[in-house]
Amino acid sequence: MTLSITELLLIPALPLIAALLTGIFGWALKEKLSHLICCIGVIAAAALSVHVFLQVLDGASFHGNIWTWMISDNFIVPVGLMIDRLSAIMMVTVTIVSACVHIYTIGYMHGDPGYSRFFSYISAFTFSMLVLVMGNNFFTLFFGWEAVGLFSYLLIGFWFKRESANVAAMKAFIVNRIGDFGFAIGILAVFYYFGTIEYKAVFEAVPALVAADFSLDFMGWEVSAITFMCVALFIGAMGKSAQVPLHVWLPDSMEGPTPISALIHAATMVTAGVFMVARLSPMFEYSEFALAMVTVIGAITAWMCATIGLVQNDIKRVIAYSTCSQLGYMFVACGVSAYSVGIFHLMTHAYFKALLFLAAGSVIHAVMAEQDIRKMGQLRKYMPVTYITMLIGAIALAGVPPFAGFWSKDMIIEATMVRDMGWASEVAYWAVLSGVFMTAFYTFRMFFLTFHNSDRVDEHAKSHLHESPKVITVPLIILAVGAMLAGWWGVQALGITNAEMANNYFGSAIFVMDAHNPLITLEEHGSHGWYHFIFTAPFWLAIGGIGLAFFMYFRETTHPARIAATFPWLHSFLLDKWRWDEMNWKVLVMPARCLGNILWKKGDLGMIDGKIIHGGIVGTVLAGAAKLRNLQTGYVYHYAFAMVIGVFGLLTYLLLGS
Amino acid sequence: MANITFPFPFPVILPVLPEIIVAVMAMVILIWDLFLPAERKQWTAYAAIATCLVAIDATLRTTGADAQMAFYGQFVLDPFAGFTKLLIIGATIYGIVLSLDYMKSEKNIGEYYSLMLFSMLGMMLMVSATNFIIMYLGLELMALCLYVLVGYQRDVLRSSEAALKYFILGSLASCMLLYGISFLYGLSGSLDFAAVGQALGSLGDNSSMAVSLGLVFIIAGMAFKVSLAPFHMWTPDAYEGAPTPITAFMGVAPKVAGFAILARVVIDALPSLQADYVTIFSWLAVLSMAVGNIAAIAQRNIKRMLAYSTIGHVGFILLGLIAGGPEGYSAMLVYLAVYLFMNMGAFAIIILMRREGIQGELLDDFAGMSKVRPGYALAMGLFMFSLAGIPFLGGFWAKYAVLIAAVHAGHLYLALIGILFSAVGAFYYIRVVKYIYFDEERVAFDFSENPLMQATVAVTAIVVVAIGIFPQPLMDICRAALGGIV
Repeated sequence: MTLSITELLLIPALPLIAALLTGIFGWALKEKLSHLICCIGVIAAAALSVHVFLQVLDGASFHGNIWTWMISDNFIVPVGLMIDRLSAIMMVTVTIVSACVHIYTIGYMHGDPGYSRFFSYISAFTFSMLVLVMGNNFFTLFFGWEAVGLFSYLLIGFWFKRESANVAAMKAFIVNRIGDFGFAIGILAVFYYFGTIEYKAVFEAVPALVAADFSLDFMGWEVSAITFMCVALFIGAMGKSAQVPLHVWLPDSMEGPTPISALIHAATMVTAGVFMVARLSPMFEYSEFALAMVTVIGAITAWMCATIGLVQNDIKRVIAYSTCSQLGYMFVACGVSAYSVGIFHLMTHAYFKALLFLAAGSVIHAVMAEQDIRKMGQLRKYMPVTYITMLIGAIALAGVPPFAGFWSKDMIIEATMVRDMGWASEVAYWAVLSGVFMTAFYTFRMFFLTFHNSDRVDEHAKSHLHESPKVITVPLIILAVGAMLAGWWGVQALGITNAEMANNYFGSAIFVMDAHNPLITLEEHGSHGWYHFIFTAPFWLAIGGIGLAFFMYFRETTHPARIAATFPWLHSFLLDKWRWDEMNWKVLVMPARCLGNILWKKGDLGMIDGKIIHGGIVGTVLAGAAKLRNLQTGYVYHYAFAMVIGVFGLLTYLLLGS
Repeated sequence: MANITFPFPFPVILPVLPEIIVAVMAMVILIWDLFLPAERKQWTAYAAIATCLVAIDATLRTTGADAQMAFYGQFVLDPFAGFTKLLIIGATIYGIVLSLDYMKSEKNIGEYYSLMLFSMLGMMLMVSATNFIIMYLGLELMALCLYVLVGYQRDVLRSSEAALKYFILGSLASCMLLYGISFLYGLSGSLDFAAVGQALGSLGDNSSMAVSLGLVFIIAGMAFKVSLAPFHMWTPDAYEGAPTPITAFMGVAPKVAGFAILARVVIDALPSLQADYVTIFSWLAVLSMAVGNIAAIAQRNIKRMLAYSTIGHVGFILLGLIAGGPEGYSAMLVYLAVYLFMNMGAFAIIILMRREGIQGELLDDFAGMSKVRPGYALAMGLFMFSLAGIPFLGGFWAKYAVLIAAVHAGHLYLALIGILFSAVGAFYYIRVVKYIYFDEERVAFDFSENPLMQATVAVTAIVVVAIGIFPQPLMDICRAALGGIV
């Protein structure tokens, strides 16, 4: 059974058309028309995605090229779609979260001078993300990859009159360029070795390439071709999905309006790396090294960003570091070959993290753009809907059953425990396990400081305190439902964690070697009753984390200050985010700027502009121009003389020459 | 009814139809003008435009894929002549439209327009000539009218001076041309291009000096008409002194006619001297590109600047002639066609900017135009970028065509020199854009609001951009236009 091409094409086309309309005619549109166009476009895309998803559940799929963008010798760049169970679940997640964020934006951005522009950007972003997940080749992947990066940049710097927003936007773009460089090299390597960029053909050719044992010499190391490709591609994923050491842009991206943080920097774009690894599972499965690298990088990120989250005071930054950390969990899942669990966590995370961000946005909106949780407190009295939805999101993130986060995160930890990859999986296991405790702690620390504890809101803000309007609370409620049910639904209804790929929701969309599959081992270990979680460490660690947060922050206590005073070095180290920015500044930025300064002042201004251009070329030309001008005396006999000289010269040349 | 028999075969006249129409109408307008009351003198301009449009239609209808002879083989209408005539008539229409406002206050304006038509007639004859005498007749008809037109503003000293200089030097050039023709006639005994070509091909080495003399004098005479250096000295003075619409007109139309007939002469009459004329042309081309592009930098008056710019451009156009072959000649036609539009567009803006008291002729006068009239500013920017050869505007493809033709014909160094001077040239074109967009307005602008001229500017800008984006149709047409000669 194949899907209707028209329907599939409409899904990305509707947001694109909406974006173009509001982008080009935005100056003439009223706010109402702008958001109507974009919301209708995206909601329709979401409805179509759900329809496609239901058909895909019945076994439908689509694979084919729509048109050829470019042919250059044997380099053929088609634009095509590959709709299977992996892309279908991504489409649903992306469009539903995007639709919620669109509606939310109506309330959040109301009155902003860039209202239409904002809608145009987020619709265009949705289009790009859909291209990324729906494409059937590396080109569409790259196109979507770069396009979401572009819109991320534009949206982080949306309030372009703010210096800090511009700096953050540039930082995000530049750090992503580093990742994209690896990504591009990976794609070029794929084309070099396989001669095609279509997923299907590449995947079919992988085993032969591995069997042929191609290797290349990379800076003195002997690397097998498949490992080279996978590592290069994964470097791209590290940039886009904010993995250490390329994670530094994500917390700064919180300079953008909050709906963006929810849509791009939590639910969709940053998960592109995870999606890519899962999509390319037929390649990664053949490279032990790449899998180990994915696992270790993911584990380090998961653990490190969790520690930073413990002490941050900006409500959005806490959630941002939590995002980095959770992305690490997803990569760990992919690294231990539990791709289906990784995508599962991606989906549940999309719901509860978007919820947390939007709820945080609702809070920020209410307290007059204040983001410091030390200046909040007792907000539950004023904002009951935000309070309850955020509580649901926090519980889901902390991993308490039966909320969404529990199902996926618990599976990741167990899969990591049983998968034997030597030290890599060992490290990863302890990292993700201890991460659970910290996640629960920082989430509820933020939650208690915002909604309970003592009332520290300043007088001016307090006079405006109120629950947010319906356009803001309704998306919160929708996402809260997702955060409650997505996990249970994924496991029970879709069978997303079933061990055998044949029984698994993803079926053939994800390729796992039986020898790698941790879910099979897990199944052999024993049955999974509903009460199973009581015997697992993650559950108790989560409860412990929440309990500790309750003890320290539910009421105003002196514990936090005392602990910080006892370990001042550790506290400031964490507060300064492990001093990554400072290190990058000293090791990379300063030397680059020094070099640039030298080349600019000495090389460009001194040598080229000074000596060569002004001294040499321009001087000669100007002198020549002045001389020629003097020749033009205005006397007829001079002019006639020039003609005669010309004839004489030509004749002489011709007669002497021959 | 009895058949009428002629004592001699009746000459074929259909191919000459456009010329006949223009000749008759030019005379009609000249006389009609005397009977028109002063407030209706402008009608002569519209009559002249109508004449041009009819001439275009007649040219399109009479031109076929094959060469058609008339007047016993002295006149030919082939696609090459047809295409260049269209360019010449187009340039004339531009000249008339640009004159509408500029010349409104002049007396006996009908005379002015009929002179333009006569000049155009001369050029049309010229491009269809297969014979040195016809060529010379056309050339002199064109030139005589232009002398008068340059000095049309008799009470402006600059204008009279320019006309006088142009006339004296033009006569000198005509003498050179005739002198050269007489050499070739003496050697071959014929004035017909093809016959001359055959005769020269069979000459021995001992007459090479006479051949060289003829060649150099003919080229010198022609080079004067298309302002190739070092026969260019009249150009800046004449351009500056002439009424601006005439400057625009003589910046394009005589160049088209001159290059067309030059191509015909070298192809038909001088094929055996290819090595010699390519050498001469190479020197002229390099010299023209150098003088034109470098001297333009020192100019403050935009008409003078564009005069030097023309000298630079004809150097480029000559590259097409040097390259030769279908590619080279068609590149030359592409360049001429694109040059017609971008040059006319630039002059149209200059004329629109004319103000009472202040002639909008100095570079400073453009300062701050973008704030007052962003539309004109954009158009002028496009024309300047196109003249500089920036992709993707028409001027880029024109330069590309001649340069690639030169490279393919083995003149790599000429092409490199061309690129070098086009880089130098970019400076003074883009300087105009700088004045328009980045400088502050000094004096209040007072633009002409003639809707016909505004439409002309808009259409021209669109054409320049359209050729820039879709160059292929024009290139195909120019290639097809060579059907008759190569």
